[in-house]
Amino acid sequence: MTWDIFVALLAATVLAGTPLLYATMGELITERSGVLNLGVEGMMIMGAFFAFIVEYKTGNPWLATLAAGLGAACIGFLHGVVCLVFQGNQTVSGLALTIFGVGLSDYLGAPFIGQKTVGFQSFDIPLLSDIPVLGPVFFQHDPLVYLSFVLPWVVMWFFRRTSLGLALCAAGEAPEAVRAAGLNPVRMRWLGICAGAFFVGVGGAYLSLCATHLWTHNLTAGKGWIAVALVIFAFWRPRRALLGAYLFGGIMALQLRMQALGTAIPSSLMMMLPYALTILALLVSSARGKGRSAPAALGENIAPGA
Amino acid sequence: MDGFRVVRRQTPPGWVSFAVLPAALLIALVFCSLLLMIQDKSPVKAAVVLFQGGFGSLYALQDTMLKAIPIFLCSLGVSVAFRMKVWNIGAEGQFALGGVGATWAVLTFSGLPMPLMLCLMLLCAAVAGGLWGLIPGYLRLKFGLNEIISTLMLNYIGIEFMRYLVYGPWKDPGSMGFPMTGLFPEEAVFPEVLGYVHAGLLVCVVAAVAVYVFLQRTRLGFELCVSGENPRAARYARIPYGFLLMFVLALSGALAGMAGCVEVSATFNRLQPNLCTGYGYTAIVVAWLSRLRTPSIALFSVFVAGLLVGTDNLQVDMQVPAAFGGILEGFILLCVLAGQFFHSYTLVRMGRRQGGAA
Amino acid sequence: MRFFNCAAAFLAVCGMALLPFASSASAEDAAKNVKVGFIYVSPVGDEGWSWMHDQGRKMMEELPGVETAMMESVPEGPDAERAIKNMCSKGYNVIVATSFGYMDPMAKLARRHPDITFLHCSGYKHSDNMTCYFGRIYEARYLTGMVAGAMTKTNEIGYVAAFPIPEVVRGINAFTLGVRSVNPEAKVRVVWTRTWYSPDDEKKAAEGLLDVGVDVIVQHQNSAGPQVAAEERGAYSVGYNTDMSSAAPKAHLVAAVWDWKKFYEKFINEYRAGTWKNGNYWYGLSDGIVDISAYGDMVPADVRAKVDAAKASIVNGTYKVFSGPVKDQEGKERVPAGQVAPDEMLLSMDWFVEGVIGTAR
Repeated sequence: MTWDIFVALLAATVLAGTPLLYATMGELITERSGVLNLGVEGMMIMGAFFAFIVEYKTGNPWLATLAAGLGAACIGFLHGVVCLVFQGNQTVSGLALTIFGVGLSDYLGAPFIGQKTVGFQSFDIPLLSDIPVLGPVFFQHDPLVYLSFVLPWVVMWFFRRTSLGLALCAAGEAPEAVRAAGLNPVRMRWLGICAGAFFVGVGGAYLSLCATHLWTHNLTAGKGWIAVALVIFAFWRPRRALLGAYLFGGIMALQLRMQALGTAIPSSLMMMLPYALTILALLVSSARGKGRSAPAALGENIAPGA
Repeated sequence: MDGFRVVRRQTPPGWVSFAVLPAALLIALVFCSLLLMIQDKSPVKAAVVLFQGGFGSLYALQDTMLKAIPIFLCSLGVSVAFRMKVWNIGAEGQFALGGVGATWAVLTFSGLPMPLMLCLMLLCAAVAGGLWGLIPGYLRLKFGLNEIISTLMLNYIGIEFMRYLVYGPWKDPGSMGFPMTGLFPEEAVFPEVLGYVHAGLLVCVVAAVAVYVFLQRTRLGFELCVSGENPRAARYARIPYGFLLMFVLALSGALAGMAGCVEVSATFNRLQPNLCTGYGYTAIVVAWLSRLRTPSIALFSVFVAGLLVGTDNLQVDMQVPAAFGGILEGFILLCVLAGQFFHSYTLVRMGRRQGGAA
Repeated sequence: MRFFNCAAAFLAVCGMALLPFASSASAEDAAKNVKVGFIYVSPVGDEGWSWMHDQGRKMMEELPGVETAMMESVPEGPDAERAIKNMCSKGYNVIVATSFGYMDPMAKLARRHPDITFLHCSGYKHSDNMTCYFGRIYEARYLTGMVAGAMTKTNEIGYVAAFPIPEVVRGINAFTLGVRSVNPEAKVRVVWTRTWYSPDDEKKAAEGLLDVGVDVIVQHQNSAGPQVAAEERGAYSVGYNTDMSSAAPKAHLVAAVWDWKKFYEKFINEYRAGTWKNGNYWYGLSDGIVDISAYGDMVPADVRAKVDAAKASIVNGTYKVFSGPVKDQEGKERVPAGQVAPDEMLLSMDWFVEGVIGTAR
């Protein structure tokens, strides 16, 4: 493999990792507040649809991105209604949300399939983009990619340095303690669900506005499920989520380039590679004792009227 | 909730069980009707067409049963794991491995008499599915790896492994280069027992009785339920958690594997790359709708299968896009899930205290 | 408590099952109408395979006395069997299924319903009341290969392909033969995406190929993702299914296209006249069901002339694409000089010709 191909591989890694990064970060926020939402796939594709439809009507990609986030948050809101208000099981509610979201996006989006979007165009960041290797890998993309670079640090700062972020994490670890401190843990979980869904939706927007520049069915093609797995891979830490998203995106990109260079490995085995390596990477890090357990109250509802 | 207070019920009154499910269904149907009305289609006609397609004729009922069989088996397996709060969402991959196991049996032992052949296929499928289920169990015990991620990843890996076999070593030379094994010989195909519903139905009955007896009547089954409801108590009672975890995942995988065997043998008659169509995920939903109770799983498998079958009819007769089925399924589930709230809680008007609702 | 739960669920199911009996009097006019049902594997809106067949359905719908219906997104296997059965029971006279995996269930039901005509696209089973039909798109692929071979500067062409099945492998081989007929040095690199339709994955696969140095992208996929990748990188592209030039105006050289409307027109006319014979039909360039699209502006006149000449000789039958000598990747001679590969060989092709880089598995 020559140097040029290697640099191109890294750039492709960043592009493939970006939607995963947004979705993973969203799910991570939700899970840190103690809510497991397996509906990422459904919210993500609805985000992609809202982004497309607003871009299609207004031509403004920023507005479209905002709409994608808010639209996905509305779908996530259903999860909140079922789990936070009506005490439904989070695992199943999330699954139902995925089935619902994928169906709804197909139903509403059917008349628009194949329609193109202008979306975001990539632009080079002055000076930075001229740095060898780092330039083409990180600084010759579109705005949503640049925004994703700072996202993990912003989320980390939010979790550690703001009282709201601390309360949100506490709602995931010990909701009773939050209540004892005079705050409402259910409200923190609402925040976790809606803010998380917002970023998942932006991940969807990336797909329709940047990656493909069009609307079609099956646009997410299972990326939401990968995000669910990557949150656990990241041990619920924002910066590790960045690593996970790029690792997964990188293996996907590598797999395609290995085929392009001519390999005798059957394509079915190549397709297993990212999933098998994800498990392997997890095993290695937990064997080295770097694992961190899930938020203590993850998946458990807060009983009302307590 | 202004003016109302949520109070936990001790025992839900009988009317709740009767009222909640239809009410939840009604809400879901109203929502879906609105969607249909956007497209200028009559919701009343749609409801008729839908239920006619799923339950309205002998043919429809048989089709529904055919679809319910794999869903039921997978769901039974998933429910056993869920009882112990082990989140096995890997039924899809275990289902695929079951298909692989059964096909291996067919390819390896040919010429056996039918009953022996079918039992052997079921056994191999159960072993293959069970082993696939054991992997996440082992990873969790040894490395503390969360089973949600490992079962999810193993779904993808299992399906690709099945495809690898079909595209490669197991491809039938007589299939004109298409990726599939040869047609199974007659003795390896489950016979039809009830109309054109195949003997997989009997497998379901046997599996259901076995699981029911196991959970209700055996010590291990009791320990399993206790470990799920109260892990700490289980530890004090010296229940072997690690063993139980492995056992539960193996059992769960074995049942999904048997579903794969039935599907490969009776409906495909061969192993094909498109074996998996999401039964493993539907199974999770069914397991929870029925609150993990074996008899209810049977009913809800038929109900959900009927819904899926009925949506076909909606497409043919009213040209409603296929995606509508997903909306319907998803929204009904959300509503029913929310409705289950009233099994354990009730709303009480503020200021009117009720006794016994401590 | 458990009893109540079950009872409630049961009552709900029963109640809804009874609903239809109350109002099942749909008027069935038994006029001499032809009812044609179509079953597709993907949503129609995808502008790919299903969409093209649906153009044929829409054309039929316009005809007086013809009624059509379609089901989309029907998974291959038991769901397909049920879908076909459903249409049989609703009195459809003709049932059309357009994916390979529909073949077994259709053949099974064709035996059970001798009075219904079954049309199955892309398989090989046929009988008195079941036709299998397909097109020799590989002939068009050969011609597009000639264009690509003439236009490549790096002598490397990238092929984004869905699944390693004979139909796709045959297309890759024909394309490569076309490329090497004008440019013996050129190589074709193959990447499998393992999906028929996923714009993002297909585009990424094309980008992977462009990264390793190809300058023409070809596809056997249903979305225009690979075309867009070529357009963005300033490379050339060859389309498939339909003229894809709108997705990549600066890149699009030519496309191998289907025209299924012609087939369905021919079928419905003959069927209604009572002259339709079921059998095995494999239509080529000469029938107009496969063709190549208009050339892009960048294709020079001499290349066009050469390709048009080749097209003419394929149409009039003087040239066959898989004429010997054809060697495979290992250099083994598969078709000896002076012979033409028989259809059986083409139908089950699972090896690559010389000049392809990649694995056919």
